[in-house]
Amino acid sequence: MSMRPPALDLPIMFIDVRVTAGAVTILDGVTLTISAGMPTVLIGPNGAGKTTLLRAAMGLVPASSGLITWGGRESSDPRHRAIMFQRPAMLRRSAGGNVRYALAAAGMPRGKRHERADALLAEVGLAGLDRRPARRLSGGEQQRLALARALARDPGVLFLDEPAASLDPAATKAIEDIVRAVSARGVKVVMCTHDLGQAKRLAGNVVLLHRGRLIENTPATQFFATPRTEEARKFVAGELLV
Amino acid sequence: MFDRRMLIAAVAAAAVLSGAPVSAQDKSIVVSSTTSTQDSGLFGYILPLFKQKTGIEVKVIAQGTGQALDTGRRGDADVVFVHAKSAEEKFLAEGQGVKRYPVMYNDFVLIGSKSDPAGIKGMKDVGAALKAIMAKGAPFISRGDRSGTHIAEINLWKASGVDIEKEKGPWYKSIGQGMGAALNTAGASNAYVLSDRGTWISFKNKGGLVIAVEGDKRLFNQYGVMLVNPEKHPNVKKALGQQFIDWLVSPEGQKAIANYKINGEQLFYPNADDHNA
Repeated sequence: MSMRPPALDLPIMFIDVRVTAGAVTILDGVTLTISAGMPTVLIGPNGAGKTTLLRAAMGLVPASSGLITWGGRESSDPRHRAIMFQRPAMLRRSAGGNVRYALAAAGMPRGKRHERADALLAEVGLAGLDRRPARRLSGGEQQRLALARALARDPGVLFLDEPAASLDPAATKAIEDIVRAVSARGVKVVMCTHDLGQAKRLAGNVVLLHRGRLIENTPATQFFATPRTEEARKFVAGELLV
Repeated sequence: MFDRRMLIAAVAAAAVLSGAPVSAQDKSIVVSSTTSTQDSGLFGYILPLFKQKTGIEVKVIAQGTGQALDTGRRGDADVVFVHAKSAEEKFLAEGQGVKRYPVMYNDFVLIGSKSDPAGIKGMKDVGAALKAIMAKGAPFISRGDRSGTHIAEINLWKASGVDIEKEKGPWYKSIGQGMGAALNTAGASNAYVLSDRGTWISFKNKGGLVIAVEGDKRLFNQYGVMLVNPEKHPNVKKALGQQFIDWLVSPEGQKAIANYKINGEQLFYPNADDHNA
């Protein structure tokens, strides 16, 4: 009887992964395991390769060499993963319309979309803004709407690229609360941030990237208390890593 | 009718023209294993490492231990990797397997709701805990699917002097499903359930469930791996299958098993050097 499909996408493994664009090496020999549990937070200076790593883990960027696997498989239907980009594009329609579009794209039958969209908007604290044109929402609200769209896919793994960049503390807290709730529900969150405080508040483990290389991958408590590498120590101390 | 020789010739020509080395494409084996190795993510971690090293792709069929061994008996797998020593020894005795190698162990935990209706939380003796569940008629979910976990559960009842087939009442529900489903059912019905620790740790929907009993030696869960006997099943990929087994019990494979962690917690403990395991 139960010959079941392999357990979703976890762990996601990078084995000696290089990603190049022309002559530029964006990821350089990255070996990393993303397994179930608390959020994995990627940090590092601009251009360190965080976004590319996220996109590669989503399956949007192929490895130039090395191996990326999802639950042991080398290619994996991205149906159970979702990604939110740093600058999400709002569709020119209502907030609810944006979420219903995502639900339709995820294959949900029309009759169920309205109810589910309402639930998703409520989950990200946008209940009642269903009919507001998405582009007229504030920056923080747009970011939360983008999260609702990502969650519309009912992902097992959720990738967030700077989900709270340039938001004020209240809007940042709103995003973090959602991330925490989603993570507690068992969704694996992988996110990048420039905000060390945010990394401290959310991370189960911290991955430090620098110039396309993985410098450190340690449990968050250890990363901030006793960084293993000089680079991590500098980064945590707020020195510039260039 | 279509001439079969023509077809063979056409296929051969296609292979030559495409220049694809047929043998390289064929470097894969089928491993019949249990839901726990798959659902815990262990295979997702160690198989890519094995592939990277050897180029061999491992296709996994994840079932309960009993079914996994039956898949081997039918010759539908090259290797079986399961956790029920007595059933494995029977498999060997039937001549279905070549040799059994101990690989690793994990342990079972007895899960229950926070309200703990049988009052067993923190007990060190799993036998006493099971008897208390029965005495109080507290709900208990059994996998009931001949899986390694199901067999372990039956053995635990037996070891505590209970013939569960005879003594089970309405409190004992056999669901015939996998570990995740059993945990979900237990969560929804405030029931106790035996789970392997790996699935428990990676289980997402814990709700009001907690570990009630752990650490009793009888809760150990030993995994063994065997090559399916090529003399019985000539289609078995003997060399590739043995290569996988050799890697699993090698220092490198054993280290990979130990390195697999969720939230910093190790799930499986390699013990290939323990020949009594």
